Parts: sequence; C-alpha cells; structure tokens
Amino acid sequence: MIFSRGFKGRRQDGPPDRVPPGQYLTDDFPVLSAGPTPHTPLEEWTFSIEGGAEPVSWTWDEFRQLPTETVTKDIHCVTKWSKLDTVWEGVSVDTLLDQVEHDAEYVLAFCDGGYTTNLPLEDVTGGKAWVAFVYGGEPLEPEHGGPARLLVPHLYFWKSAKWVRGLTLRDEDGPGFWESNGYHIRGDPWLEQRYWGD
Amino acid sequence: MAGGKWETPRVRTLELDVPDWPGHVAGQHVDVRLTAEDGYQAERSYSIASAPDEPLAVTVERLEDGEVSPYLVDEAREGDAFEVRGPIGGYFVWEPDDPAPVLLIAGGSGVVPLMSMARDRAREGSSTPMRLLFSSRTLEDVIYRQELEALAGNGFEVVHTLTREQPPGWSGYSRRIDDDLLRDVAWPAEDEPKVFVCGSTRFVDAGADGLVRLGYDPRWIRTERFGATG
Amino acid sequence: MEMRDLVLDGNAIGGLLNELFGTELTAAPCVCAGCGAREEMARLDVYLHAPGVVVRCRHCENVMIRIVRSPTRTWIDLGGTSGLELG
Repeated sequence: MIFSRGFKGRRQDGPPDRVPPGQYLTDDFPVLSAGPTPHTPLEEWTFSIEGGAEPVSWTWDEFRQLPTETVTKDIHCVTKWSKLDTVWEGVSVDTLLDQVEHDAEYVLAFCDGGYTTNLPLEDVTGGKAWVAFVYGGEPLEPEHGGPARLLVPHLYFWKSAKWVRGLTLRDEDGPGFWESNGYHIRGDPWLEQRYWGD
Repeated sequence: MAGGKWETPRVRTLELDVPDWPGHVAGQHVDVRLTAEDGYQAERSYSIASAPDEPLAVTVERLEDGEVSPYLVDEAREGDAFEVRGPIGGYFVWEPDDPAPVLLIAGGSGVVPLMSMARDRAREGSSTPMRLLFSSRTLEDVIYRQELEALAGNGFEVVHTLTREQPPGWSGYSRRIDDDLLRDVAWPAEDEPKVFVCGSTRFVDAGADGLVRLGYDPRWIRTERFGATG
Repeated sequence: MEMRDLVLDGNAIGGLLNELFGTELTAAPCVCAGCGAREEMARLDVYLHAPGVVVRCRHCENVMIRIVRSPTRTWIDLGGTSGLELG
C-alpha cells in the first residue's frame, strides 16, 4: 500500500458508543443520489399503503393533518459517514400503519424515481420509523428527499428512502434497489451489515 | 510527485513521475488514490494536462469543500507518493493526424484535457485549425493564461469570456456562453469540425445543445462532465 | 449546490470499468434495454454519489448498469443494457 504523507481526509473520530464500527463523523450532510431528483408537486403527492385489507392513501394536506413527532437521531450511511444529533419532524410509521388492517411481516418502501428498499415490519414499528418532512427545522429539501422521506435511523441510511410515496405490505421479504445488487438485506450498522454475506 | 507549479491562486499543476508510464493520448485522464496512515482511502479523477511526449502532469483545482483537492493543491510536495491508474479514456481523445478543424470549449478547470490537445498540436507542428473558447470567472482565474497567449498563432486561436468580473479595458466577451456567442466563435457547420466540450455538467450540456441548434451534428461533439466535488 | 452538476458521464467510470472488464469501455456503444437508444458509455448519465455506481440512459433515465463494490467482491447488474459493442 502506498501511503500519502499528510493526507487525512475530511473525517473525524467520534465517541465509540455513538459511532458504529467503520464509520467516520461528518459535520455536513452529503448528498447521495442514484438518479435525477423528482419534483412531484404537492397537489399530486400521495402516500399510500398497499397490500393490507384495503389500500389506504393520504394526500399531502391529509398527511399534514396527522400527528407528528420531532426526533433527534444519529444517522449512518453505508458509505462510512455518520452524523450525530440530526433533528427531524415526521409522522410515525406506527400512526400510518394503525389505519390499515394487515398481518404482513415485511414492507417494501417505494418512491418517486423508482427507488425501493425492503424492511421487516418490526424495523418500522414500535417508534423506530417516520415519514419525515422537516429536517433541522426547515422543510426537507428535494436534494435530501423532500417533500418527504422515510426515516429509519437505526439501520444504514439507504433504508431511509428519499422521495418515499408509500409502503407495500408483504408476507415475505424481497430485496429492493440496493439489496438486490450487493447490499445487505437488513443493514444494521452496529453489526456492520453492509454487504451480502456480512 | 516530481514538481509543482501554480497556475492561479486556486489551481496547481502537479508533475508526476510514474514508473513505466506508458504514455497517453491528449484528452485522457488518470485516477489518483490517496491512502492515509490509518488506511482510509479517497480516489478522484484528474485530466492529464501535459502533451503526450511531455513529462506527465495533471492540473488540480482546489474545491472549497473538497477532500482530495485541498491536499493535492496546498499540501502535496515533491517526493510525496500517490497511486495512479491510467491513462484512461478512449472517447474524449484527439490526435493531431485528424484533419478536421477543432473547436474546444472549456468551463474553468474543464480546460485541462483541452490544454493537452493544444499542447500536442503545437508540439507536433500541426496546422489543423484549432479554436479554444474558454469561460472563466475572472482574469485571475484563467488557467494557463500566459501559455495560451504564447501558443496563439499558427492556426490556434483563443477566445476568452470572463463571466463574473472583467478588468478595465477588457474587450473580450463578458457573459456566459449563449447561442449568439457560439455563433460568433464556432466554425461553420459546413466545416464539419470536431468539438470537445469540458466543464461542469450544466456548462457542458448547455454548450453541446447550443451547437446542435447552430446546425452541428451531435456526433461531432464529444463531451466530458467534470464533477463538482473534490 | 446544483443537483444537476452531480451527474457525470461514463468518462468518470472509465478507470473502474477498465479494472473490472480489462478493457477501455468509454467509447463502447451501449443499447438501453428500456428505450433502445444507442450511446457510447461516455454519453450515459453516471451517478457516483450513491452507495454504488448507477448508470442511466440519458433519454429515458432507465437504470442501465449498477455496480457495488465491497472490499472483497463486486456486484454488477447489466440488466438494463441490452447490448454493448466493443472494438
């Protein structure tokens, strides 16, 4: 290996009980994208849950009538950066799923632009997941997933799907966009579940 | 690293001594990988600035929030080591035996691979007409300014546009490239020129679209988008 | 920061592709499985700022190629590309 004298990169180390193995801290909020930024007008935006006893859907106005929570969370991207104490406001996925009768064990989040990610139901319930539309006190910007993104901070951030438009309830798990091409089906940063076979 | 040369307050050329370097074609680039003491690695692509028979050199612009470019521009010194992969590229390349007139359109540091082409043309003594349309923010930001002045002549012309600030008495263009500017500067479509456009994505897309509106065949136009991260 | 400037082109993955496939591919025409458009690799939209590399058709935005690298393996999906021409 050839070492480059004096090169450090931009990272910082952080408290090990807050920064999972293999991660570095960052102060900024890097933008990662796998495709063009969608720009769905709010008048056309809906969030739906499919695969339950009946499909359920909210318009933006209806969605904004739902009770929200403000949460402070650490987030961890599989590309190795972590950001502590990020503040979000959103509707808990528990609140949304309460409107649907189902016995599903898995969900697939689907998004404008075609991105998908899969999760076990227990990773999006019990106060672990939100559909977030405010970041750092401001409406969520399109480059970071606005108007709304899924927020599942206890898993690697590729699971916090940007531009989310709904959840499909499923009986079986099945890989989403990254999970079908090398990324771990679950993605727990504390177990360093980055890739298949980890 | 064999040497360095400041081009502008933000831009430096690094001469690289790579064992068994096979040589390159004008327009190609290298991938540079840096490894920190603890094993952390970062990799970026940089266009080759030198002509094929000159010592290998890349020109790097320091990007404000960059991770690699501030190191290469401000910190790296003679004797420092990096991993280099290349030369890379089989599309955005030009060789002096091509008889078609050449139009080069550069946005800022997008001039680097085009400079390799201009230098190659000069060193080969080619008389192929070549015109560089070069957009920079201010006169101070014009990379290779003196050398471009010296290269002008023998069929090589440089047209500058300064988009943010112009010095007193400036008689060149002072705006972003638009259809009128292109119409003034570009070779007539009947000449069937070869075109190379390099810079940020928006710059490159706008330039290429403008030329197509002027009647250029899209197949004459080769583009390379430079990233905004460093 | 302009999102549009984050999109690069196939030139940016020339080194990666050469490493993976053992040959220069930036000038190789590729056919989009979504819309049939035929463009050189260098003219495809490349997203590098993602957990992996995503290459999309410039005309229909269909995902043509995905590449994910771990320290030990590389996963390549060419399913959105229905043809590649070498030589």
